[in-house]
Amino acid sequence: MSGEEEENAAELKIGEEFLKAKCLMNCEVAIILEHKYEQIQHMSDGDPASQVSQVFEKSLQYVKRFSRYKNPDAVRQVRETLSRYGLAEFELCTLGNLCPDTSGEAFALVPSLHSGGRFQGDAGNDKIDKMLNDLSLIKKFE
Amino acid sequence: MFFHIVLERNMQLHPRHFGPHLRDKLVSKLIKDVEGTCSGRHGFVVAITGVEDIGKGLIREGTGYVTFPVKYQCVVFRPFKGEILEAVVTMVNKMGFFAEAGPVQIFVSNHLIPDDMEFQSGDVPNYTTSDGSVKIQKDSEVRLKIIGTRVDATEIFCIGTIKDDFLGVISDPGAAM
Repeated sequence: MSGEEEENAAELKIGEEFLKAKCLMNCEVAIILEHKYEQIQHMSDGDPASQVSQVFEKSLQYVKRFSRYKNPDAVRQVRETLSRYGLAEFELCTLGNLCPDTSGEAFALVPSLHSGGRFQGDAGNDKIDKMLNDLSLIKKFE
Repeated sequence: MFFHIVLERNMQLHPRHFGPHLRDKLVSKLIKDVEGTCSGRHGFVVAITGVEDIGKGLIREGTGYVTFPVKYQCVVFRPFKGEILEAVVTMVNKMGFFAEAGPVQIFVSNHLIPDDMEFQSGDVPNYTTSDGSVKIQKDSEVRLKIIGTRVDATEIFCIGTIKDDFLGVISDPGAAM
């Protein structure tokens, strides 16, 4: 259990298993869960709310409330755009969920961006700003 | 953070279910057993999205039950220390406030609320800045950082802070629409 005690998302210490796993942004989870909810609705005549667990229900409400992008095409574009920047899955999804406005905010929210020399100096800041700008464009034309 | 991961579980099935619908029975039992549960290691299992593989069954001596190793894909929600996420405030009191991010509860103590925010009791208890420009009350949306998780076998509980840069009330939740 010693590995678990050291976990710290700010340094991307989230355990081997989760580091390799696919992270999902809230908007992606919303698509998956809504699809599943509809399936349940079709299969049973009754109220689907009584068929799903409380965890499912709460998660669905949460991701619906905090999804930045509603349109499935936009969601795909966001992932494509972010994946061009050599981000870890966890970083990618944090940025996609929180949509920071400035590179300063991005570094504060995802401190692990500092590591690995990916975004150093002014060139690094510009790169992040460009990335955030791309995201806001997707949002605008959604 | 939500993850899409592959998990494995040994499912026990009573012999009366053996027949052409064995697989269906296994899958529906898996969904019933696993969805909505929480483990300290993998977090909350929100939804099973697919079954990858069902291994060879093994008869358990003495009972006749058969154990099948089942590999399945699922969406889990696992909070991490140091993670920043958005949450909805559910209760405010003088000790601090509780917020919910999906299935997980997060407590933010009043020591971890900026010093310029004061507790106001009343019908709608809240934390407000002296100039009244920022207010945290029930149903507010906040962005917080998880600074601690208490993980036991069946539950995860988090402690959060909003006393840091770029954290706190999300100024205009309407803008995200």
